[in-house]
Amino acid sequence: MERMFDEELKNLREKLMQMAILAEESIALAIKSLKERNEDFAQQVFKGEETLNLLDVEIDKLGMQLFALRQPMAGDLRMIIVTMRISIELERIGDLAVNIAQRSLELLKQPPLKPLIDIPRMAELAQKMVKDSIDAFVNNDDKLAKSVCERDDEVDDLNDQIFRELLTYMMQDPTTIEKAVELILVGRHLERIADLATNIGEEVIYLVKGKTIKHHCE
Amino acid sequence: MSRHFLRAINKLKKMILDLSVVVEKDVHRAVKSLISRDGTLAQRVIQSDEKIDEMEVDIEEECLKILALHQPLASDLRFVVSVLKINNDLERVGDLAVNIAETTQFLLTQKKAEPPFDLEGMAEQVKDMLRKGLDALVKQNVLRAKNVIKADETIDEMHRGTYRITKDHICSDPENADSYIYFMSASRHLERIADLTTNIAEDVIYMVDGEIVRHSHDEFGNNG
Repeated sequence: MERMFDEELKNLREKLMQMAILAEESIALAIKSLKERNEDFAQQVFKGEETLNLLDVEIDKLGMQLFALRQPMAGDLRMIIVTMRISIELERIGDLAVNIAQRSLELLKQPPLKPLIDIPRMAELAQKMVKDSIDAFVNNDDKLAKSVCERDDEVDDLNDQIFRELLTYMMQDPTTIEKAVELILVGRHLERIADLATNIGEEVIYLVKGKTIKHHCE
Repeated sequence: MSRHFLRAINKLKKMILDLSVVVEKDVHRAVKSLISRDGTLAQRVIQSDEKIDEMEVDIEEECLKILALHQPLASDLRFVVSVLKINNDLERVGDLAVNIAETTQFLLTQKKAEPPFDLEGMAEQVKDMLRKGLDALVKQNVLRAKNVIKADETIDEMHRGTYRITKDHICSDPENADSYIYFMSASRHLERIADLTTNIAEDVIYMVDGEIVRHSHDEFGNNG
């Protein structure tokens, strides 16, 4: 019985890892599609999202089964709940990667506005936050989780900067508006991805340090 | 079912309903602050978030306590787990109310511009959806929950529409581009509230019927 529980717990975590890898890949592919102006990468993001949805439902079901059949103790309980929650965050990250890929397809219909530099940089930051938040979860590393939360401001600042710059483009030349709005949206999607990574970081801090830390990153 | 367990469940019910009341009020106030350009009201929403966060943590602790102490089965288990999820969703709705309040504050620093689409109408529909979703929760009513899920499509469509309208308005009136983009953000926050309300409705269905409806009716994400 005990061993079976451990086995199931492991299975749950493995599914979450699959999701994490897929979510990270989706961000990278969406940005690659944007940067290299390639439709195939966008299509891959759409496929990945379907798998993420399926995995999310599987994790949900597995978690429920563990509750019902194994009646886990407090510590394991919290772990399972946090796993289920992180799964939801990863699924949302997949949705946002889809949003970015959709923007990319729109942008492909027109000549490029300018070479993209800040957006790929922002994407790298966001992707690294997702990766680190999951590493923090796997290794019970609250320090790493905290550093994820702290990096959120950096992404927010970068997003503001991109927003300002694109606004200037639009003001100077109204023919750029269509493209600039698409890119502003990409910036917002990336900012949201960083927010979700921060949520994961907060969950990990909560898991490691207990209830009072939640919603605060210190 | 033991008396202790029954008491614990009733306490939990009360806690989640209390939270839903606070969250609903905050959404209402956030929307009002946006429509009537009321910075004081926006500030109040932002302050209230801390209370929501505390309530969320308390509810989660209570759920964990019940799961560990009483190890409920079948429908009781489903109830507690659903409360855990709904709790999380409500807290996020609270965060989105804060985002809307922050949008209000930003717009107050800009020259006054009218929303280029029917923001108020959309907000009313989202509020209505939230109210019905919470009502489905209180009454454990699957039919009402299903109606809430249907309403989400209308909101999604409205939000998708804002995108084109916003672009057109920036073209014809680039001076107010900032404000228009922020109005579109507000629309996105509202659309997210509708999504989370849909999640809550799905959890109500699961709570009552044991049927998982998540992702079975959703399509790809939306613009913005």
